[in-house]
Amino acid sequence: MIKTIAKPQEKKVMGCGECRSTCQSACKTSCTVGNQSCERVTREEKIERK
Amino acid sequence: MIHVFNYRDKNYIYDVGSASLHECDTPTADFLKAKELGQDVDITYITDEQIAEILSDVEGLKSAGLLGKDEVKAYPMKSDEVKALCIHICHDCNFRCRYCFADEGAYHSKRESMNLETAKAAVDFLIQNSGKRKVLEMDFFGGEPLMNLDVLKATVAYAKEQGGKAGKKFLFTTTTNALLLNDETIAFFNAEMENVVLSLDGRPEVHDAIRKTVNGKGTYALIIDKIKKFVQLRGEKSYYVRGTFTAKNLDFAEDVVFLAREGFDSISMEPVVTDLEDLKLTEEHLPAIEAEYERLCEKYLAMHEAGEGFNFFHFNIDLEGGPCLSKRVSACGAGNEYFSVLPNGDLYPCHQFAADKEFYMGNVWEGITKPQIREKFKNSCLFTREKCGDCFAKFICSGGCNANNYHFCGDIDTPYEMTCAMMKKRIECAMHILAEKKRLKSSENL
Repeated sequence: MIKTIAKPQEKKVMGCGECRSTCQSACKTSCTVGNQSCERVTREEKIERK
Repeated sequence: MIHVFNYRDKNYIYDVGSASLHECDTPTADFLKAKELGQDVDITYITDEQIAEILSDVEGLKSAGLLGKDEVKAYPMKSDEVKALCIHICHDCNFRCRYCFADEGAYHSKRESMNLETAKAAVDFLIQNSGKRKVLEMDFFGGEPLMNLDVLKATVAYAKEQGGKAGKKFLFTTTTNALLLNDETIAFFNAEMENVVLSLDGRPEVHDAIRKTVNGKGTYALIIDKIKKFVQLRGEKSYYVRGTFTAKNLDFAEDVVFLAREGFDSISMEPVVTDLEDLKLTEEHLPAIEAEYERLCEKYLAMHEAGEGFNFFHFNIDLEGGPCLSKRVSACGAGNEYFSVLPNGDLYPCHQFAADKEFYMGNVWEGITKPQIREKFKNSCLFTREKCGDCFAKFICSGGCNANNYHFCGDIDTPYEMTCAMMKKRIECAMHILAEKKRLKSSENL
């Protein structure tokens, strides 16, 4: 039995650079890009929800 | 490439090429470990009927592009546009923390503050070198940035003014030890800072053992109420209470939980980077650290289920809407899109390289005068890190921190295995949490 938990959505944008630098998100020593979300998509979703 | 792992009684498959996460039963996990990964796992107990079912599931996922998907192997060159500056607004500190990588604020040089002329030149440098970028970042760092508050405030005002003229939006961050937080600074931060990182190590005795005043006294009692007040007034804006764990508190899950119970809902806890014998983390600590991340994971989930959930930076993972592939592959932007500016205006790849003369890159008036250093950082990406090639975590960690790699292995492209091991454990915990949260949500909807 295999059950899919998560799969990536198609990205609307690539490499727009609007996300924060990884190092400036929280840690300043052990950065993990995958701990962040795409800020542009997150922001656009917030606008859509309003 | 696939990564098959178990977390306690749960089995997971992470498909690196598609970034999909699947849960499976033990026969499926064992079968894939033996047949796909070549591991020495007993699969004689699996029946022919079960094998047929496994193969059918695998084929279905492969057809859907969710298993064994080809990985991206090439990536376009990075641009020369500068995106962010770490402004060392003050190379002095009102704390004397033993583990400080920055030599307790002085960076192995004289204690000094940045003047406004230099800070303005840094803003101009960023705008002039940002190309088509619309969103720029400035991170006020130290030492302790609040020791140079007037210049910090004037720099923010100048950046907003100049950014407005140039069609750029500035996002500001400050990292502070919180000692000088008061009503005025809290109001200023809440009005202007996109993110604020507040240093607090957890339980009072853990914090006070390392983070001391210039007179050698513990600082917990001096800052806790200030941080609580700040968070109370922060509203929806971003902040992190950020701790550091050392060999002295390998039970750091207790510190994270302590911070959460103190009312902080956005927490990060980072492994120390130090040469101090009694504090540094070594490979012999690794089993205890990995076990502690699991313990933290269990506590995190229990609190989430009890309605006391909080955000722990390293347990965030967004496989559905996470960063684009471009960001995942380009790795850390230090030395190319991100620089540190010292109080005298000198440019370095990032704060962890600051004042290491070998990495001096130029200054905010003349720009980059050592293009060969920038080329090295610009050409570095996930695919130049050979050791990352067969790692399941590569598109999540992007090959790690340039400075960490350099300081431990002598090369920005060679990841430090101790850091990798901690990273991989945190990612497995994060994936388990993702699955458990989905399970909880679907049971609530029943």
